[in-house]
Amino acid sequence: MNPHAATPADTGALDSLLWVVLPYLALVAFVAGHAWRYRYDKFGWTTRSSQLYENRLLRIGSPLFHFGILFVVLGHIGGLVIPKSWTETVGVSEHTYHLAAVTLGTVAGVATLAGLAILIYRRRTVGAVFHATTRNDKLMYAVLALTLALGLAATVDSNIVGGGYDYRTTISPWFRSVFSFDPDPALMSGAPPLFRLHALSALLLFGIWPFTRLVHMLTAPVGYLTRPYIVYRSRDPQLSARAPRRGWERT
Amino acid sequence: MKAKKGPEPRRVGLDSDLTDALVGSRRFFTRAEVSGDRRAVYRIGGRQADTFYRDRWSHDKVVRSTHGVNCTGSCSWKVYVKDGIITWESQQTDYPSVGPDSPEYEPRGCPRGAAFSWYTYSPTRVRYPYVRGVLLEMYREARARLGDPVLAWADVVGDPERSRRYKAARGKGGLVRATWDEAAEMIAAAHVHTIKAYGPDRLAGFSPIPAMSMVSHAAGARFYSLLGGVMLSFYDWYADLPVASPQVFGDQTDVPESGDWWDAGYLIMWGSNLPVTRTPDAHWMAEARYRGQKVIAVAPDYADNVKFADEWLPAQPGTDGALAMAMGHVILKEFFVDRQVGYFTDYVKRYTDLPFLVTLDRRGQGPDAVFVPGKFLTAADLGGSSARAENAAFKTVLLDAATDAPVVPGGSLGHRYGEAGAGIWNLDLGGVDPLLTVAGERATSAEVRLTRFDTTDGSAAELSRGVPVRQIAGHTVTTVFDLLLAQYGVAREGLPGVWPGGYDDPEQPYTPAWQAAITGVAGEQAARIAREFAANAEESKGRSMIIMGAGTNHWFHSDTIYRAFLTLTTLTGCQGVNGGGWAHYVGQEKVRPITGYSALATAADWNRPARQMIQTAYWYLHTDQFRYDPFSADTLAAAGAGGTFAGRTTADVIAASARMGWMPSYPTFDRNPLHLVKDAEAAGRPVEAYVVDELKAGRMRFAGEDPDAPQNFPRVLTIWRANLLGSSAKGNEYFLKHLLGADSAVRAAEAPPGARPRDLVWHEDAPTGKLDLLLTLDFRMTSTTIYSDIVLPAATWYEKHDLNTTDMHPFVNSFNPAIAPPWHTRTDWDAFNTIATAFSRLAAEHLGTVTDLVAAPLLHDTPDAMATPHGRVTDWKTGQCEPVPGRTMPKLITVERDYAAVADKMTALGPLLDTLGATTKGVTFDVTRELDYLRHKNGTVHGGAADGRPSIARDVQACEAILALSGTTNGHLATQGFQTLEARTGMPLADLAAEHQGRRVTFADTQQGPVPVITSPEWSGSESGGRRYSPFTINVERLKPWHTLTGRQHFFLDHDWMAELGEGLPVYRPPLNMHALFGEPEVGDQGELGITVRYLTPHNKWSIHSEYQDNLFMLSLSRGGPTIWMSKEDAAKIGVHDNDWIEAVNRNGVVVARAVVSHRMPEGTVYMHHAQDRLIDVPRTETNGRRGGIHNSLTRLLVKPSHLIGGYAQLSYAFNYLGPTGNQRDEVTVIRRRNQEVTY
Repeated sequence: MNPHAATPADTGALDSLLWVVLPYLALVAFVAGHAWRYRYDKFGWTTRSSQLYENRLLRIGSPLFHFGILFVVLGHIGGLVIPKSWTETVGVSEHTYHLAAVTLGTVAGVATLAGLAILIYRRRTVGAVFHATTRNDKLMYAVLALTLALGLAATVDSNIVGGGYDYRTTISPWFRSVFSFDPDPALMSGAPPLFRLHALSALLLFGIWPFTRLVHMLTAPVGYLTRPYIVYRSRDPQLSARAPRRGWERT
Repeated sequence: MKAKKGPEPRRVGLDSDLTDALVGSRRFFTRAEVSGDRRAVYRIGGRQADTFYRDRWSHDKVVRSTHGVNCTGSCSWKVYVKDGIITWESQQTDYPSVGPDSPEYEPRGCPRGAAFSWYTYSPTRVRYPYVRGVLLEMYREARARLGDPVLAWADVVGDPERSRRYKAARGKGGLVRATWDEAAEMIAAAHVHTIKAYGPDRLAGFSPIPAMSMVSHAAGARFYSLLGGVMLSFYDWYADLPVASPQVFGDQTDVPESGDWWDAGYLIMWGSNLPVTRTPDAHWMAEARYRGQKVIAVAPDYADNVKFADEWLPAQPGTDGALAMAMGHVILKEFFVDRQVGYFTDYVKRYTDLPFLVTLDRRGQGPDAVFVPGKFLTAADLGGSSARAENAAFKTVLLDAATDAPVVPGGSLGHRYGEAGAGIWNLDLGGVDPLLTVAGERATSAEVRLTRFDTTDGSAAELSRGVPVRQIAGHTVTTVFDLLLAQYGVAREGLPGVWPGGYDDPEQPYTPAWQAAITGVAGEQAARIAREFAANAEESKGRSMIIMGAGTNHWFHSDTIYRAFLTLTTLTGCQGVNGGGWAHYVGQEKVRPITGYSALATAADWNRPARQMIQTAYWYLHTDQFRYDPFSADTLAAAGAGGTFAGRTTADVIAASARMGWMPSYPTFDRNPLHLVKDAEAAGRPVEAYVVDELKAGRMRFAGEDPDAPQNFPRVLTIWRANLLGSSAKGNEYFLKHLLGADSAVRAAEAPPGARPRDLVWHEDAPTGKLDLLLTLDFRMTSTTIYSDIVLPAATWYEKHDLNTTDMHPFVNSFNPAIAPPWHTRTDWDAFNTIATAFSRLAAEHLGTVTDLVAAPLLHDTPDAMATPHGRVTDWKTGQCEPVPGRTMPKLITVERDYAAVADKMTALGPLLDTLGATTKGVTFDVTRELDYLRHKNGTVHGGAADGRPSIARDVQACEAILALSGTTNGHLATQGFQTLEARTGMPLADLAAEHQGRRVTFADTQQGPVPVITSPEWSGSESGGRRYSPFTINVERLKPWHTLTGRQHFFLDHDWMAELGEGLPVYRPPLNMHALFGEPEVGDQGELGITVRYLTPHNKWSIHSEYQDNLFMLSLSRGGPTIWMSKEDAAKIGVHDNDWIEAVNRNGVVVARAVVSHRMPEGTVYMHHAQDRLIDVPRTETNGRRGGIHNSLTRLLVKPSHLIGGYAQLSYAFNYLGPTGNQRDEVTVIRRRNQEVTY
């Protein structure tokens, strides 16, 4: 049982909906959506790159965004997945952690958001790229930008403007509680509104994720970095490339 | 494959140390083997990943087919089918070999053909029968109320209000699905009602170019021919028909196959853009250059073919005739006068009319009297026994060098018919050596007046030049050669008149310097090309060739342009020689198995003759374009001409041609032709006499003299394999207005009183919506289907059996269905049989068996061609002669029609073939043996009107019939035809086909691969021994006469009307001056409405014939949507940048398009590529707020009187042989930049 758990009476129906039902819906959509997409839309599993249409802005915006978001992801892993007790055990004080998180997080967040701004600007102003933009893309961009903006705003608001907020006592445990199938919505009820809105928009983003071009995240061609230049594939033991049809197996 | 195991020293690293480190690390993370140098990894299996790819390119079967309707490629294609779906096509490679000394026909096929399978499942595919909703509702209501389809149709179209409602809805959507049964019933009802109320000649069918899918064409043509309906011509209508071909050769478009380009030593591409319009054959032109051939391009723009040429002559649009005349001047001067070339002289003496004598007529009285060229001297003029011989007026005369006396050689028209001519209709001169000129001791000279048209406004002026003359039998005569020298301005010693001072004389026609001012081509260059052309012909014995295309052929005066070309090829002995002569490739229509096809298409096995109409004149009258012609036909006449055309409009000239029997005219009379026979019976007169009396008394008139009277309207028009309103309808907006009653953009004013036709009835208010039913069969939605009342879904070329031939390829291709016609589509053969069945059912009750009176024109290749001695015109209407059917007016022929039996007759070969045989170009084939073969091959019909006859119920059976009944595909018939010709010519011919006498091409043969054809008297060239086809080689080598007056190729035409137009001899005529004729601004004028430019409509690189502008692949490859190409100079003048929206406006209509601004284009000329349909990205215009038009919205019909001549030697009518061209290139338009915000 979570030590911070509130009594059931504190947990309103809305909180249950937002912090129990919605996360699982998003999770199911994320996992099942990817499975479905892989099964039925293999040839649509693509970034639909627009590099052919424009690359001057893309060359700046794309790395800025992608490297930025990599650090954002790492930061989220550090903040959400690793319990506070672990870092304290190894001697990282709250202040140290906080300083590192805010500094690195803000830089990464700003880089990501700047990259995204360039990419969206490019997408809107370059005719060929805009022509290749679907309604689905537009929705995705809106949700992605919203999530990023809220995240950065929450960080800036609570840490720089405000006096700092230790999300590792509320949001992080809630996040882990979802994955341990013991969700505790009460943990979220006390979080500042910007954090909660950030979490909600993130849930929405993960919910639509498999149905957008964001699927490319799962298939980032990391293996290419270490792949020998030539790949020989000898034939399968069977005769043809296709599985033999019933009644035509080799005897 | 396996790399050696174990450590191996690495010699060379990868791209960088970082890469080395990264890639080198893989071996630690994989169980697969990594090579010692780290570059390769060896995996076992995992190839399922490319299953999708193998699946994508796998197929279940491959079917051979090709492309109609009129693609000249004749490419055989492999059509791939997977899971019952046509997936793609690729080129076949198994063409008959050309032989060891030449490149092969393969490879063939272009991107347009490869894109065709897109249509099968395209969004524009017509999948179901459609009927205009408002019409269908009214018909259903009337049908329910009256209980009879025919009465229902009559009820709807007879009510002006309801009729106007559905006609006004044309082009505005509202087509709804119907069933085949209901649609066929409506169509049948419309046909039955029209026949009953107005007569069968108020029905018309239009489908072009049968050669490239002859069964589909024959399907509807046969149906209309059985009904007595009118089949409209296409070759002249498309302006592809070169009128010069009948004028010069007495033959239509017999041209070399593309393989013969290889044989040429000198090749001029004149207005023909081979890589674009003859893509699969262009390789011959490219290859022949490696054999040393010199290639010249004449084109106003930097066309795609120009880059292949050794030299480019950028003649201004429409001035090609001037260049050719100057080249003729040089050749005559250097190769005939300054020096005689034995090969040329021998050739022109034997194979042309140059040595023949022409009388000179005295014009005027007293000392002011001048001479003008008159008529060919004939045996009739000589007096004595030769004048009394049969057909003496058609036996032309020349002088023998040996005796210096006139001789009547064999081979002329007078020898072609009659007893006396048997065995001597040939070009064998025996010991006679014809004199080319009459100059000599006994000659004097005379000054002759000739006409020139090189004035700034194109009007006529006179030239005075001397010729040597002799007196023979009381006539002042000279030779055609002497006249030709005078015409071309090639001076000889001692002759009077005004002559050029030399090549550099810019004033006197037709010198190189003279043409430079007109064409823009330097005089020296023109002279040099002429010299090279002739020198090559001299050395190679005639292997100089001119490939001539639409760029020179689509002009109003293209016949003069072509005659100037043909003068070059004929003077230099290139005609009838492999590798030489004319090669006209514009809308080719060579149905190689012509005899069988004709029999089927005209239903000549059941009744003769079929009604075949010259389409240009048909639409000129029935779309009321004649009402907008404010000028007299006299405008075109020669200087000092006799005034034949004075006060007469073009419509008057058409009416004269019709009543004199020269050209066909349907609808013929202002009465139902089914009533005439009954009326004659009632009057107690023979029908011929009755009709003549009624006409003479003026009680009955030709329908063409009152085209706006409701009883003379065309009532039903069926279009298949064609897109009339998106492609060929010159004067498109006039069609929409008057024929259809739809919205239109016509802005022209009607002719004012005083400029109106003299012999026609003028209705104050021009009718609109003449047509009751527009029926279209197509596989895609077009500008025509959206205006149609009923649209039937047709099979594509990958969904039916058919045959395909062209004149550029000596083989027969087959169409085969890769899939059965999908959705509710049907093959044309099935569709028309469906309609015929519905028709016969209704006809049994409403029509029964009746006698029709067909008025048929005087025909070429028959004795009709001797109706007009000396080409002296006498018009019975003006009292110059009596109306005599078959001589001074059309033949009147009764035909019995059992309308209830039409369906039975459609699907069986009728008995007239047994008794009359089948005739092509004057050669009649006895086909009883072939009919017997077909009885066994196809089976016979049991019961009905065709009991016991060979069946052609299915398209394959129709294919077999065509192949069996034609000489080109049946060696027995070819040999038999040649034997028939041997009897007339006295020359050995049958050996040409003897090598194939036992050979018969079956449909199964054509399914195996393209099959070479057999040499046959149906055509003038020989393929014997595997040689390349070149026209007239039989005439040249076997001395078989041409089908002309002299039996030779003609430079001179002595018909009255030719003289009237000043075109007795080759002459230069500039493009029509639209400013003078219609008050359009002059080219180059710039005002607030924009700039005035010449408006040409050449072929599109991204859509020709087998594939259309709407094809998504081709739209993607090209700019897509409607475009007009213009020069950067013109664009700069009106502030247009590339891809801007522009609007082109003239009196005929409005076009909106994007500008393609290109340095390829010459200043003052724009191109709007042909057949850019209304359906693709055409916005509303600023001019009238309605949707913009197609390329033909800015054009209109203009008819040249000389094209209407008939009843005289080679100037006699035959279907697609001769007729007025629907030319469109002389047009101008005003172009401006428009608001860039377009709305749809």
